[in-house]
Amino acid sequence: MTIKTTINKSLLAATIPLLLSSASVLAKSGSHDMHKLYEENCASCHGSDHGGYLAPALNSETLKGRSPTALRSVIMTGSFETLMPPFFGRLSDTEIRAMVKHLQSTPKLANPAWNIKEMKKSLKIYVRDESKLPAKPNFKIDSMDDVIGVAARGKYGRGQGSEAVFINSKTHKMIAKVPTNTAAHIIEFNPANERWAYVKTDAAEVYKVDLYTMQAVRSIKTGLNGPAIGVSRDGKYLMVGSFVPHNAVILDADTLEPLKQFELEGIDPDGKMVSSDSGMIIGTPFADIFAIALENAGQVWVIDLKEGFPVTKIKNVGRHLHDAFLSHKGKKLMVASYDDSIVTAIDLETRKIIKKLPAGCVPHVGGGSVVKVDGRTLGFGTNFGTCEDNTVVSVWDLDTMELVKQVPVSGGTESPAAHANAPYVAVDIITKDRRARTIQLIDKKSLEVVKTLDVGGHAYFPEYSADGKYLYVSAGYAGDEVIVYDANTLKKTASIPMESPAGIFSRGRVKYMTRGLSPDEME
Amino acid sequence: MKLFAYTSAAILLSMSTGSFAASAFAGKAKAAAVCSQCHGITSPSAEAPFPPLAGRDELYLEKTLKQYRNKTRRSEVMNNIAAGLSDRDINNIAEYYSRLKP
Repeated sequence: MTIKTTINKSLLAATIPLLLSSASVLAKSGSHDMHKLYEENCASCHGSDHGGYLAPALNSETLKGRSPTALRSVIMTGSFETLMPPFFGRLSDTEIRAMVKHLQSTPKLANPAWNIKEMKKSLKIYVRDESKLPAKPNFKIDSMDDVIGVAARGKYGRGQGSEAVFINSKTHKMIAKVPTNTAAHIIEFNPANERWAYVKTDAAEVYKVDLYTMQAVRSIKTGLNGPAIGVSRDGKYLMVGSFVPHNAVILDADTLEPLKQFELEGIDPDGKMVSSDSGMIIGTPFADIFAIALENAGQVWVIDLKEGFPVTKIKNVGRHLHDAFLSHKGKKLMVASYDDSIVTAIDLETRKIIKKLPAGCVPHVGGGSVVKVDGRTLGFGTNFGTCEDNTVVSVWDLDTMELVKQVPVSGGTESPAAHANAPYVAVDIITKDRRARTIQLIDKKSLEVVKTLDVGGHAYFPEYSADGKYLYVSAGYAGDEVIVYDANTLKKTASIPMESPAGIFSRGRVKYMTRGLSPDEME
Repeated sequence: MKLFAYTSAAILLSMSTGSFAASAFAGKAKAAAVCSQCHGITSPSAEAPFPPLAGRDELYLEKTLKQYRNKTRRSEVMNNIAAGLSDRDINNIAEYYSRLKP
């Protein structure tokens, strides 16, 4: 989901020739007020520092020479085929004009201070005595693994539509919505205690959610933007990272109290010392560790969960790292590197690079997928794939670390879904035209695309139910529903309406670690 | 020759009725591409200031869209959006949204 460098054209593309007059209205508001307006309406997608996040950077440099009238039109009507909503009627015309002026005159801001002190101050407690919470779910469900969580962003990335929506993946009925105030991005489940889930928002808040009563019990703001969050295998620690500012922090998973902060900086593969965004953070069933990708520094840090939280730095992993997935009982970590289009395999036991594998074009592996077929362990990696003639999904043999095949697909992809009991690996086509409505299904055995589903909306983030019988897909943007398919017949089974659904996360994931592996034995 | 005349008349007839009958399918495509950006399909965003269109009266939708297009009803945004719609587009959109359950 997070693209910082690639998609810069969308804003230009959908400019509707709206406004003939551009009578100048002077910005009466001070820049302090304008920054507040920016924070409240723009920052959760465009970055609190004006540096871009999942939407393009908006600052004096990136908007240099752009027509203020065109920018005003985009703000009013939104940008079709993207997450940019229409602000007509939400912001006054004076505010919109002042915002255009503000954006075109504000440089990208320096890294703001957001340290343990600020984090502690932001801690909110909604349920004071957790011991009084009921010991069982207050709704009917066979197993908590059947819970699927959907990160509903809300059209405006905040407000009433922004919530974590939980669904029973056997009945396809919504269990409850937990409001998150700003766009929910990632939902993680506690592997040691089934009642707890953690929701990370794009404004870098972490909500601790009680799944038995479907409510948030605590929250903390760990930064200003950034999706990264991981849970340790014992369920005792969380580690979360930010794009703004460049830091990561280990939290007590129970109280959300911050324990240790890390400044993310290091020497990149080209020898330059850089400050870095936080890429993925992952806990592994293999050991009491976290792994974190430093996006710009191209390093992966392994942090031991013991006194002092010591760090082992693995350097030169790639240029602009992003997400990753685990294999081999959580011992091998496959890290996507955008700029050199590789996926780097890391051995978390020796804490060394195993091999750099070719990965198509701008790999974005999402949660990744690993399936066992005919005695081989195959990893699947998706690609944003905006390079010409190279829209593929990569398949690697994770035992031998060799490329097996690059499967041609119809466009860029963001996230593969697989399940041990389902025949297909589902990938979401995200190329911004009619193809964005579709999901393609790759046969696990033949490694060919065998079927294309026309889901509608902007179809993305496929996920199988814990039993592998159903395929869930978000039809976001204008679609505004989650659609459920039978995993074998691919017949549409159900639809669950919600506002701008994005990532889908099955609690089953804590059992099979990476989607596609057997839920019965951790492989 | 006679047969030819009948056939072409039939074709003409079917073409003309086709062009007047509203198509909810075409309306759906147009609604997805244009209207839903603000009004949503079944409902707009909980945070949005735009009215829902699903289940509204077909004639009302048609009349209002034509007013926006002909600028007899003023709205900075709607005048411009509706400006690009043909009579057929408007009929199709009205047909589609009126049949949807809100």
